[in-house]
Amino acid sequence: MSESSASALPAGRRGRQPFVHQDSLSLDSSYFSSPPMNFLQELPSYRSIARKRTTILSRDKQSDTLLKPTDSYSSQLEGGITENLNSQSIRKYALNISEKRRLRDIQETQMKYLSEWDQWKRYSSNSWKRFVEKAREMTSHLELWREDIRSIEGKFGTGIQSYFSFLRFLVLLNLVIFLIIFMLVLLPMLLTKYKITNSSFVLIPSKDIDIQCTVYPISSSGLIYFYSYFIDLLSGTGFLEETCLFYGHYTIDGVKFQTFTYDLPLAYLLSTIAYLALSLLWIVKRSVEGFKINLIRSEEHFQSYCNKIFAGWDFCITNRSMADLKHGSLRYELRADLEEERIRQKIAERTSEETLRIYSLRLFLNCIVLAVLAACFYAIYRATIFSQEHMKKEIDKMVFGENLLILYLPSIVITLANFVTPMIFAKIIHYEDYSPGFEIRLTILRCVFMRLATICVLVFTLGSKITSCDNYSCELCGYNQKLYPCWETQVGQEMYKLMIFDLIIILAVTLFVDFPRKKVIPVHTATEMRERAPPRRGSGTHRSSLFLCVPLPQMSLIYTCTPSPRQFRASNSNFFFLLVLLIGLCLAIIPLTISMARIPSSKACGPFTNFNTTWEVIPKTVSTFPSSLQSLVHGLTSEAFAVPFFMIICLIMFYFIALAGAHKRVVVQLREQLSLVRKSSRSRGSWPGTVTQDTERKVAPVRGSGWNAAAPSHHRPPKLCLRAQSPPASFIH
Amino acid sequence: MECRSPWQRDDLVSQPVSRRGQGSAANREKGGVGMGQCLRYQMHWEDLEEYQALTFLTRNEILCIHDTFLKLCPPGKYYKEATLTMDQVSSLPALRVNPFRDRICRVFAHNGVFSFEDVLGMASVFSEQACPSLKIEYAFRIYDFNENGFIDEEDLQEIILRLLNSDDMSEDLLTDLTSHVLSESDLDNDNMLSFSEFEHAMAKSPDFMNSFRIHFWGC
Repeated sequence: MSESSASALPAGRRGRQPFVHQDSLSLDSSYFSSPPMNFLQELPSYRSIARKRTTILSRDKQSDTLLKPTDSYSSQLEGGITENLNSQSIRKYALNISEKRRLRDIQETQMKYLSEWDQWKRYSSNSWKRFVEKAREMTSHLELWREDIRSIEGKFGTGIQSYFSFLRFLVLLNLVIFLIIFMLVLLPMLLTKYKITNSSFVLIPSKDIDIQCTVYPISSSGLIYFYSYFIDLLSGTGFLEETCLFYGHYTIDGVKFQTFTYDLPLAYLLSTIAYLALSLLWIVKRSVEGFKINLIRSEEHFQSYCNKIFAGWDFCITNRSMADLKHGSLRYELRADLEEERIRQKIAERTSEETLRIYSLRLFLNCIVLAVLAACFYAIYRATIFSQEHMKKEIDKMVFGENLLILYLPSIVITLANFVTPMIFAKIIHYEDYSPGFEIRLTILRCVFMRLATICVLVFTLGSKITSCDNYSCELCGYNQKLYPCWETQVGQEMYKLMIFDLIIILAVTLFVDFPRKKVIPVHTATEMRERAPPRRGSGTHRSSLFLCVPLPQMSLIYTCTPSPRQFRASNSNFFFLLVLLIGLCLAIIPLTISMARIPSSKACGPFTNFNTTWEVIPKTVSTFPSSLQSLVHGLTSEAFAVPFFMIICLIMFYFIALAGAHKRVVVQLREQLSLVRKSSRSRGSWPGTVTQDTERKVAPVRGSGWNAAAPSHHRPPKLCLRAQSPPASFIH
Repeated sequence: MECRSPWQRDDLVSQPVSRRGQGSAANREKGGVGMGQCLRYQMHWEDLEEYQALTFLTRNEILCIHDTFLKLCPPGKYYKEATLTMDQVSSLPALRVNPFRDRICRVFAHNGVFSFEDVLGMASVFSEQACPSLKIEYAFRIYDFNENGFIDEEDLQEIILRLLNSDDMSEDLLTDLTSHVLSESDLDNDNMLSFSEFEHAMAKSPDFMNSFRIHFWGC
């Protein structure tokens, strides 16, 4: 009897936990339900015990009532059945299909004894679940590049697959941002321009602005050389400047539809804020899983041995060569980890004079690193200034190549710097005597910092040039109107050039370096792919979705790459990519906010010609609200609200940090308690209510054949059939 | 073509295989009886629905496994009665290079052979949509080499040997790794992992769900 009930146990723990288990469960449950321990209910081990408890108890209740049927038990039975039916869907049981079929038949027979309401509830929840599943199945077909990424996973493992699903996430993010900008800004303009709707542009003449500020000289010499179009395409000037790609195109104050006037400056600003907020939320949501796991663990290093050994093998690998590589990488990784342990122990045993020597050496080397960084930043600064000053020369005075060189000088210097500095950093870090894992992390951190900081330097240089005037004051228009009549467009052009140059370099390296190298030297590390990954974000330009994004790296990967001996794990690399993206986003937001709030918007082009700064649109819009709403908004943005709000947020954060610390301590205490209980039970013999090691060992082999799925289902059916038939009979009398 | 009782069933929705006709959306048309293969004909609609309800597999995956099964099963048998040997299942492309394929076969087979439903059950556990508790349950069974209900040091050493697949393995490396794993996940200090301890460790492991899945079954 217990065997048959045990055979239908959820999650099939038939035999590992014999029926003695119930008393120990009651002990555990009372321990866990005392008030100070309530927050322990969040621990996964408690939840698994709780799940077992509800199902085991309900099962036994059910078997009891089925054996001795009386009417007074029928309500209890109903409760038991609903609890049992609601606990898990039938798929989650660890049984084979024929047993699940029988279980489902039993459940259906028992369902007849439920009330009409419960039956209908059950039926509707089932149909809803089926509908949701079908919908999910259909939407999974819409997933972009699903088959390609699956085949990559089969050939190269989950680490590289995570890189490609990250790329797919970036493409989707870009697409959504493009849609936001298109709907909010472009669509009204296109509708009016091509006369699809009966609307017109609203142009408010600017008052009390010096006429000099609104002059925007479009250089058009008599003869246009044929290659000027090519240069325009590469540098974003000329005909490209008047397309919707750049800020200057939107020199309109509004679009007047039949019933309302669409405020274009407000829409432009709000769309920028919207897509930045959306990107931030989406990236944070995606990275929450990685952070959560990091926080729960009490160990310092990210990768534990349990994870590497039990979840070390990618079961989806189907390729013999990839399997060999995986074996090799596991060998390497585990040996490296043990090596790192030894080095860490060695470090802990250092004498004080050795420590002093190491630290002074590290200080010196860090100064060298800072000097290298400063040199690169200065080079970029000078290159940008040189490029900006010489860009204005007439085309016919220059040779074709020289012109392009000057235009692309900042991009070239940035790329060179990003190429040279990782090599320098890799050399330096050898002397700093860190453990191997930390070495790799620090090198990557330095390279990533380098990449992001170079763009910051570029933007800062441009910013300083825009707001500084040499011989005359900037008070006329607020910015250097002589050199930068439309400075937003010009900053956008620099970003555009950076993007184009990046694209050219990626194509060139893939075609001219990777493919030939594969023929000559057939090994190429996949870690280099990761270093090319960090994306750059421009400010002030439109973003067009780069569908070139995935097919090119995939081609490159499949035809040229043989994965390196040191593989990276899916979870680790996911976390890393998203972290880099998050830092990049935050760094991109800073110059954007400064330029929106501080630097006066250009008066010669753009939708903000009538405002002092870009941000001024918002106060002007708020002043058109009804007075109650206005006072509410003013109250929310005043210091009287902001300071207490900030303090409350800090308090909440401290509360959660304290809670997390308390959880960690409790976990440690529970572990100690558990080992103490085991030890004392072992020394005293069997303890009532606890399953001891000995009883488990004695019982387990007997039941051992039960949970091994090789156990024949043949001798079980008769018992189950009997149970299926007995309920009706037993309920009749 | 011989007359067999399956052809004369009333609930058979499909047409016998000798006729090349148009297949309905739910069933896929198969060719004639192949050389040395199972009788190939379409799966019943009701069976397909039932398998979808009882497993985590999608319709396409079930049909794909049906295809693969038919290619391998012995000639002249109805697919529901045919069985595959453990060697045949071990040599499927999905399991061919897996170091734990013998354990997988032992856990999922009944009486040393695989029926079609056993293969489906195996694919369901390894599918992407399967819930973590199910995967953890079967992972525990797979990793318990000596089948005593616990993952003890012997099992751990065997797992490590299979993972590393190398001839020169020092004893120190094995004992080191084993002791590290046990120190991380053995909560009651009895030198082996019970199911709850294993479950707890896998709940914290970020890579487990990603690595414990197979989605290529032959098509």
